[in-house]
Amino acid sequence: MSETADLIALLTAPGTTLTRTISAVNALEKLAQPRRRVRIGISSNVSVDLLSVFLRKHALLCGASADVCMGNHDDPLTDVAQFIQAGVEEMVFLPFFDNLLPAFERQIELLEPDAVAAKEADLRARYRLVFEKARSLRQVYACSFHRFSPAVDTGAADTVSRVLDRFNEMLRSEAEAFPNVRVVDTGAIVHLLGAEAAFDTRFYLRSTAPFATPFVNELARRIVAGARGFNSYFYKALVLDCDNTLWGGIIGEDLIEGIKLDPHSYPGRVFWQAQQAFLALERQGVLLCLCSKNNPEDVDEVFDKHPNSVLRREHIAARQVNWTDKVSNLQAIARELNIGLDSLVFIDDSDFECNAVRSALPAVRVFQVPKALTDYPRLLTEIRELFLAGGISAESRSKTAQYRQRQEAAESSAQFETNEQYLASLDLRVQLSRDDTANLARISELTLKSNQFNLTTLRQSPAEIQQRIDSAAGTVYSLGASDRFGNAGLTGVVLASWQGETARIDAFLMSCRVIGRGVEFCFWPALAEDARRHGCRFIEAEYRPTAKNAQVADFYDRLGLPLVAEDNGTRYYRAALDSFTPPPIDWIKVTQ
Amino acid sequence: MKTEDTLKDVMATVLGIAADSINDDTSMDTVETWDSIKHMNLVLAIEEEFGVSIPDEDAANITSYPLIRLVLNEQLKGK
Repeated sequence: MSETADLIALLTAPGTTLTRTISAVNALEKLAQPRRRVRIGISSNVSVDLLSVFLRKHALLCGASADVCMGNHDDPLTDVAQFIQAGVEEMVFLPFFDNLLPAFERQIELLEPDAVAAKEADLRARYRLVFEKARSLRQVYACSFHRFSPAVDTGAADTVSRVLDRFNEMLRSEAEAFPNVRVVDTGAIVHLLGAEAAFDTRFYLRSTAPFATPFVNELARRIVAGARGFNSYFYKALVLDCDNTLWGGIIGEDLIEGIKLDPHSYPGRVFWQAQQAFLALERQGVLLCLCSKNNPEDVDEVFDKHPNSVLRREHIAARQVNWTDKVSNLQAIARELNIGLDSLVFIDDSDFECNAVRSALPAVRVFQVPKALTDYPRLLTEIRELFLAGGISAESRSKTAQYRQRQEAAESSAQFETNEQYLASLDLRVQLSRDDTANLARISELTLKSNQFNLTTLRQSPAEIQQRIDSAAGTVYSLGASDRFGNAGLTGVVLASWQGETARIDAFLMSCRVIGRGVEFCFWPALAEDARRHGCRFIEAEYRPTAKNAQVADFYDRLGLPLVAEDNGTRYYRAALDSFTPPPIDWIKVTQ
Repeated sequence: MKTEDTLKDVMATVLGIAADSINDDTSMDTVETWDSIKHMNLVLAIEEEFGVSIPDEDAANITSYPLIRLVLNEQLKGK
């Protein structure tokens, strides 16, 4: 175990040489038992041999492991075909701007505008074909174009940059048409490192290998972060300490007038900026929570009355402000929001609290506010990347409001005599859709992140959902729910396939936001009817246990399907469609 | 570690061969994995590991263990 930790420390340390990186990656791949394996293909018009070492490195740092295969030189169509044959799941597509034609940046100023336009049209057609062929891959990382040689500042607009921008727009617009293609901003990497550190002219001229190791390392890091460590994490909530995390000083001692929090002076502006960053995350759908040892009234006073507090009470989805230990409080927050501990990111300024949480709850991702406050902005960037680099669907945005509706709903449920009375009062409405291409991204996202109410935990990329939608041998059902408190959005998915006489349920999952109101029973009458229309006479489904989905172990029993076999916790169900009657849900209005 | 051992270690890691198999006969002609791409990685790795800069005119020509050792020792002496 400690050998693994040493190797990981070596790989994360700055200044580890290429030789030591290669040997640590090799050693770690032999030692580690990765949770996920992924096969990646690299297709480029320059030589990027070292990218494979660094992709393997960053996969290992996320607990995954990557097999990398290299394509041919500037031959993406053949590469895609060969990758698919070799079982590659994800592809890095890295066209290098200056090598689109030999020394393209130098040529641009001499070429006729028509010749540049023709090159652009040619590339557009080619990329479209590449992406089309790569549809069945789970993910394609299409790297954007960036400059190689610096521009001379003539005071006028630079010709090369103009062409570069146009080509990037072309690449993005082609990528947009494909749900599995994601553009990686390589210009941002050059900007971060500087051209001096990013490129090696010697090897570019000798071997068409333009990138120095810092560029390749950062590119690999960003690709793996964009893939959420190849789906090894999906954080949903950011749990914040208060004193010296959201403001400088201690509210219980310094009082509201004494804490440091304002946009115009140091150190108050550090905390004010941090609050801005946290609120921006909330807008993107991250749940903000408080976990603080304080008197709740003191903390409320800051949120309600401090003139420079960016965060207000309505931005907080769950709070544990008390004198209990933080480990219990984090567990309580996870319970309240109905999410796993591995969905939490926790920030605190204290060594003691951070270490306590790290050792008692290893699933929680812990960050400590830097001792040097001027390093705080860098931490904010890291946290933003952790939540946002994987992409977000519009549906996910500002979930706090939805969770708050849920809280209010929980409160009003106390006033009714029976649960049915309460449910009837909710005015629940469900919209059931089949093969809803418009919500492809959200449907895939739900399969990737739902853990608890998930019967088979079948993860599906947007491309895989697209295939199911396109196929006549199955149907993708999705469901949106709303009640008088608000719209919960797209919250349930069933993936069914029609196999001769049998309708098979490949996946069934719900967002935990809506559980306990019968919404989970809305799919089945429509599905049974569809199955009959496809000539099916039986329905088959199963429950596959994971560490997290025990709460639905008996769902199909409750649905009224007979259990026919059980093997190692997996429960198999089968019924004749004629004898299958899902439980009634009179209090929900279902529209299709 | 002696320079020669470190050098063998770097070559072994980058080329994916055993360090104790490297001797004066080891060259681009005798090692299958030593192609032009791996050669570039090798030059990078040597420069980084020993803190030297291999002159451009030598970089392409040091295609055997004895030649690399020779150029490296010249660079280390000049440091």
